[in-house]
Amino acid sequence: MSREYDRDWDPDLYKKIDKYNSVKNLEQCLQCGKCTGNCPVAAITPSYNPRAIINDILAGSTARILDSDEIWRCMKCGTCYRGCPVDISFTSLILELRFAALESGHGQKYVVPANKFVFRSMEYGINFVPGKRGMERVMKLRSDMGVEPFPKVTPEAIEQFKAIFEQTQTLRYMEKLKTDTEKPLRLSYAEGRIVNE
Amino acid sequence: MNKTKVLTPQERIGKKPDKLFLFRSCTGSIGYPGTESAVREVLIKLGIDVITDPDQTCCSGAVAGYSGYPPEASLAVTARNFAMVEKKYDADTYCFCNGCFVHISHYMHDLQTDPDKMANANAIINQWGYDYKARNNFYHVQELYYLLLDEIRALVVRPLNGLRVGCHYGCAYLLKKYGIVDDHELPTFHEQIITALGGVPVFYKERRSCCGSGAGRGFTHKESVVHPHLVRKLDSAKEEGVQLMTTVCPGCNMALDAEQPVLAAQGYGPYDIPVIDLAQLIGLAIGVDPKILGFTANTVSLQGVLEQVGLGKGA
Repeated sequence: MSREYDRDWDPDLYKKIDKYNSVKNLEQCLQCGKCTGNCPVAAITPSYNPRAIINDILAGSTARILDSDEIWRCMKCGTCYRGCPVDISFTSLILELRFAALESGHGQKYVVPANKFVFRSMEYGINFVPGKRGMERVMKLRSDMGVEPFPKVTPEAIEQFKAIFEQTQTLRYMEKLKTDTEKPLRLSYAEGRIVNE
Repeated sequence: MNKTKVLTPQERIGKKPDKLFLFRSCTGSIGYPGTESAVREVLIKLGIDVITDPDQTCCSGAVAGYSGYPPEASLAVTARNFAMVEKKYDADTYCFCNGCFVHISHYMHDLQTDPDKMANANAIINQWGYDYKARNNFYHVQELYYLLLDEIRALVVRPLNGLRVGCHYGCAYLLKKYGIVDDHELPTFHEQIITALGGVPVFYKERRSCCGSGAGRGFTHKESVVHPHLVRKLDSAKEEGVQLMTTVCPGCNMALDAEQPVLAAQGYGPYDIPVIDLAQLIGLAIGVDPKILGFTANTVSLQGVLEQVGLGKGA
């Protein structure tokens, strides 16, 4: 691991990270640690520490956040936000961090396999459409219940759904993620310890 | 900081609606199709006109959750769906999935508070003749059950005979934190509904904890995080003798039900706790045909539960 120098730190990091303006009040953090105490992931994986992640961002440490796999542990249950006395939406922060990580070329391995669902939903207008065998099961279940064999979405709606993803450049963005070469994550942790320094 | 946290359902919804638009969800209509039809049957029994429309697409919340794309597309999808409802029906929308609820509420809030985002979304959907004005409200059906608790109690024909039911609220509804129908830290309104149906609500230790699914279980966060957490949750439910678990989110339903054999294969459990949607349980108690409730989709069999409410065979 390369050394981290304070000249690399960026005091405005918290503004840059919040690119889509979904957290808004990160600098109000009291460092009380309620987010971490409540967090079910932190209870299992002590190296995952929401309070420390906020602290690092506010201090401006750029190196240790985006290329570690800590930000890919969150289950987005929002218990952190529910306990937060100043209403910082840590789940939104995690999403922003993931956007930033992908932009800097880290962590594609976590999203690219899942993107097949997005491409599939473009064909059907709804998500989680199963494959051939799963489809037979669903159609039988639904027919037995006396409802239409598969939830219907009109062709126009599917076309418009897909057009929205095309016109906002989202599909292109995801295609690009697929072909980008991924920079390896520098740090990974297990049970609270760094394992591949 | 002076926002209201808890509203009574009367303050939140007002009076009982004559008609509502039911926002279909992906898992609730595909993986566990009983959820959608149970919600529909329960609402019809309560005398409400239920509208669904094949022009409605996915809320796109789940895909946004695990694919790492920026939010513009999902904002436009939300605007399109709700502009369609405004234009065709002018009714309030109710969803039956916590995931849909939190994503749509979030995007609606963004659209309504940020004129730029609203203008961008409308610029895209204008080409199909839609214009989103945010005229109608958006709720979760569980709020409606709570509003109509007395009517539900009066409709019960198949009381649950002291069935021990553990409630799982799911994170995403309580995550709204402000302006919801119960306290986000210690909610009890599901338990009130269970009591009204003749069941015994069980306050197990990990009642409020997450199902571990989020959007993107196995992708954006690994099973190695989820499984120990689920074990903890199901262990505490088993300890308290929970016979049935209810959810209000098809995603949670899938995570809690379909993962039980996986956990058993790893040497945990066996738990054998069936998991169904709250609407399916209400439907069961108010006398909806069990065939329509679609229990066959469940991994863990409901045979014991059905016997306890007096439905030995069939179903």
